Amino acid sequence: MAQSVNNSSGIPLKPFTPEDDANLREALKRCSAATYEAAAQFRKTGNTEHLPAIVLGIIERYVEPDLRGKLKETEDDLRIIEDLGIDSLTMMEIVILVEDVLQMTINNEELRHLRTVGDVKTFIECKVRGLPLPKPTKFIPIEQIVSVMPIQPPFLFLSEASVSAHGANAKYKISGQEFFLQGHFKDNPVLPASIMLEALGQLAVLFLLEGQVGEAGKVVDHRTIFFTSCEGVRCHRVCKPGDVLNLSIKPKRLKSPLATFEGQIRVGQEKAAIAEEITLTFAFAEEVAQPVTEAQPTAAMSGPAQAAVNA
Amino acid sequence: MRKVYITGLGFITSIGNDAVSVSESLRELRHGMVPYPPFQKADVPVKVAAPIRDFQTDSTDAEDWIFPARYSIRRETLRGMAPHGVYAYCAMQQAVEDAKLGESDYSNPLTGLYAASAGSPFLLGHHLERMRKHGVMRCPPLGVVASISGTVNFNLVSQFKIKGASTGFSSACASSAHALGFAYDEIATGRQQRMFVVGAEDGNVESILPFAGMRALSLQTDPSLASRPFDVARDGFVGTGGATVLVLESEEEVERRHPKVYGEVAGWGQASDGHNVAISHPEGTGLRMAMENALRYADVASEAVDYVNAHATSTPIGDISEAKALKAIFRNSPTRPAISSTKALTGHGLSLAGAMEAGFCALAMREGFMPGSAHITRLDPACEGLNIIRATLPHRPNVVLSNSSGFGGANVCLVFRAA
Repeated sequence: MAQSVNNSSGIPLKPFTPEDDANLREALKRCSAATYEAAAQFRKTGNTEHLPAIVLGIIERYVEPDLRGKLKETEDDLRIIEDLGIDSLTMMEIVILVEDVLQMTINNEELRHLRTVGDVKTFIECKVRGLPLPKPTKFIPIEQIVSVMPIQPPFLFLSEASVSAHGANAKYKISGQEFFLQGHFKDNPVLPASIMLEALGQLAVLFLLEGQVGEAGKVVDHRTIFFTSCEGVRCHRVCKPGDVLNLSIKPKRLKSPLATFEGQIRVGQEKAAIAEEITLTFAFAEEVAQPVTEAQPTAAMSGPAQAAVNA
Repeated sequence: MRKVYITGLGFITSIGNDAVSVSESLRELRHGMVPYPPFQKADVPVKVAAPIRDFQTDSTDAEDWIFPARYSIRRETLRGMAPHGVYAYCAMQQAVEDAKLGESDYSNPLTGLYAASAGSPFLLGHHLERMRKHGVMRCPPLGVVASISGTVNFNLVSQFKIKGASTGFSSACASSAHALGFAYDEIATGRQQRMFVVGAEDGNVESILPFAGMRALSLQTDPSLASRPFDVARDGFVGTGGATVLVLESEEEVERRHPKVYGEVAGWGQASDGHNVAISHPEGTGLRMAMENALRYADVASEAVDYVNAHATSTPIGDISEAKALKAIFRNSPTRPAISSTKALTGHGLSLAGAMEAGFCALAMREGFMPGSAHITRLDPACEGLNIIRATLPHRPNVVLSNSSGFGGANVCLVFRAA
């Protein structure tokens, strides 16, 4: 492309003509003004700092108005299908608009693993900058949690969980059948605060085991993981049988032999507990495990388009 | 065979967007024709159409569409719909309310939905153009289900969570009469307890204007003269769109629920001309046989028929063909039935016509009137001997026939009986 110019971010820039601008306005006419502004800036400068605003603005346009408030909260952890009510067809509409606005091509195969708003933002940023795509969020059902965790029922406080490069989320429903609730308290079952902390710790363990921690080829040995310390633990809400705990942790520092996380528990939209720091010790297993497949460069990404509907 | 009753109606039509206004228009012979703005161009010889009021669906972007505030349709629902999908959705809501059906009444394995429309040439053309211009991967993922024939049943069945029989019918202008006939069969044979029958059409430039190429459309510029079935000066039909939904229920369901009953579907018959792909048989052979079959099935003597809602679309050949068929059936009847074509008021709704006119017959039986055949200045001499009523009669018809004929010489006759 003879007219391409390179900017500081290394992205080849195509000229942004008044006609392009008119098309961009038309394409984004149902998005916020900020979305258009960010997109116009990106197209003029190639500055990838605008990408999150563009992607979020486009997603917001396809979310039913009554659910849009959610995007103002913890947006990166929001699950596209479960939390935002976006189905695979709407996801395609989002992709078509993103392709149009960012002048890129995304194939269906690449979309299948994007589960959260954070996944989408990271994915788009990597695509635009030509970086290898990150490992997508991994969803781990209860059977798999039980098989990988050193902690087992009746002392396991995670049900479905998801692990990405940036952290982990899980749910736990207080059934009322937990053995300790019989005495905590008398005729008044309340989940102990120590168990809330334990549940966050367990999610951090799951992250260490499933989150591709450390250099390629190394795996964390589950027998080496132990609790060392915590800081700034505060409970905000009493949790009782029937409550569904939404647990999330994010790594703050990861360097063998210590891993420090921040964690929080929500019940619905209410904050139940936070831990500023939970630190675990861990070590890698001596033996080298099976080779980890490298993220493929985007150019090599191909594959048959997945049929999304029953024709 | 179980008896089958009509227990609910919904209308989005050129003569009214609910049963009350439709009934008023039928009694007072108020037509829905206007000089249609998109036709007012030098290269368009046709000037008149019968559009739907209070809706705006002329954008290819469904999110631009405007419809009355009483209907709320979510974006994710709208994106799979053609303009007539919206009309059908609104008519369906009316019919569900009219029949006083709760979700558990209609979302079950014994309730089905049969529908008819020609699809949306408007959206199909738009999506194909987009595909050619921007590539197939930049086309809206629901473009196919919004535009192909069948779009009405795809949409309504999923939106209303229909669990019973569902399909679409495609016999052009006889389509929704076929849908009603086969829906009757589902209930009469005990396979279903309840059926929704849906007819719908976009009724816009792309669905109407191609008929000008066949020389089938009226070139009249005066809206009150353009559609005049049986008049000697008729020169073609006037296009319309919209939707009609009928609720049919078995006698057991009527006994259990005690809904309002418009009348009974007493049976139906069909027969084909086997003659020409687009022109009806000059002697009306297929339609005559369809009427004979319907009357025999319903065990009704032709003398017992009080009112016939004719198919007559206001085309020179078609109306005569039907007139001949009607004469063959009622020739020696001492009490000749009243005959009218309500297409003089509504225009011709193509796949919608059969269901829409069945809905009119239901209103006529329940409310006790027979709508007149409007806009006749001079009756075509070929129609002499038929009791074509020029004004609305304030009498309740007990036995009613509704005729429909489609391309390929498909003919359907529906028989209704006042409850």
